[in-house]
Amino acid sequence: MSDLKQTLKEQIIEQLNLEDITPADIQDDTPLFGEALGLDSIDALEFIVLLEQNYGIKIADPSEGREIFQSVNSLAAYIEKNK
Amino acid sequence: MKLIGTCKISKNGAFLNGKEVELFSSDTENWKKECYTNLNLDYSKFHKMDSLAKMAFLSTEIIKKEVDLSKYDENELTLLFANNSSSLTTDLKFINSYEVKGSPSPSLFVYTLPNILTGELAIRNKWYGENCFFIEEKFDVEFFLEQINFYFSKGSNACLCGWVESNKKNEECFLFLIEKNGKENIKEQLTTLYKQ
Repeated sequence: MSDLKQTLKEQIIEQLNLEDITPADIQDDTPLFGEALGLDSIDALEFIVLLEQNYGIKIADPSEGREIFQSVNSLAAYIEKNK
Repeated sequence: MKLIGTCKISKNGAFLNGKEVELFSSDTENWKKECYTNLNLDYSKFHKMDSLAKMAFLSTEIIKKEVDLSKYDENELTLLFANNSSSLTTDLKFINSYEVKGSPSPSLFVYTLPNILTGELAIRNKWYGENCFFIEEKFDVEFFLEQINFYFSKGSNACLCGWVESNKKNEECFLFLIEKNGKENIKEQLTTLYKQ
């Protein structure tokens, strides 16, 4: 699980073009949206692409996104459950 | 018109009104992040910006250290920017996202217009005046002065102007703030400060 979280942090940085951010800047429970990383609805689209391309997971109900994309912890848990 | 302040930044250093300000090491690759950190800023949206927007943002924050830009009413400040390469750096990254990585990136697409940086400055500083971004062959003081005079004739009292360039060979931003009231020959001052 910890390997998955580390990989996710690297993929988030790559997918969202956060050039100045390192994996160490993202804590497992850092809220991904809002103040900490400044992510917004455009970035939610990037997360959907990231899940499809890297894990073959399609989010059928977009309203689930708010909960799934809350943090690296929640993303990892969702991937583990649905892969 | 009167020249109120200037800021020039590139990997070679940051210069406020012609004097170097120690904000990052000139040999670092991540000089924009180092500059952001040393300015003690807390604006997470910075990390998502493209190079053009980051440089315009940082230059504005550096000028704000010396000039109180909040003194202007929300509509009296005009933003005038120009460069030669438009948003080419981000355009190429965006093309790479769908040609190589297989999916067009929404977060890159946002920055495939150079004038997005004026929006970033407007949001950050709550400036709701006019804004324009021009594509020019090179930095041309006379062109800027023509535009500044036009906007002053239409009611603006100050113009925050910038030549901000990002391409494979060069990354730089030269920002200058002009006020309407005053009689200075600023053409020569700007030319000298830009060449610094």
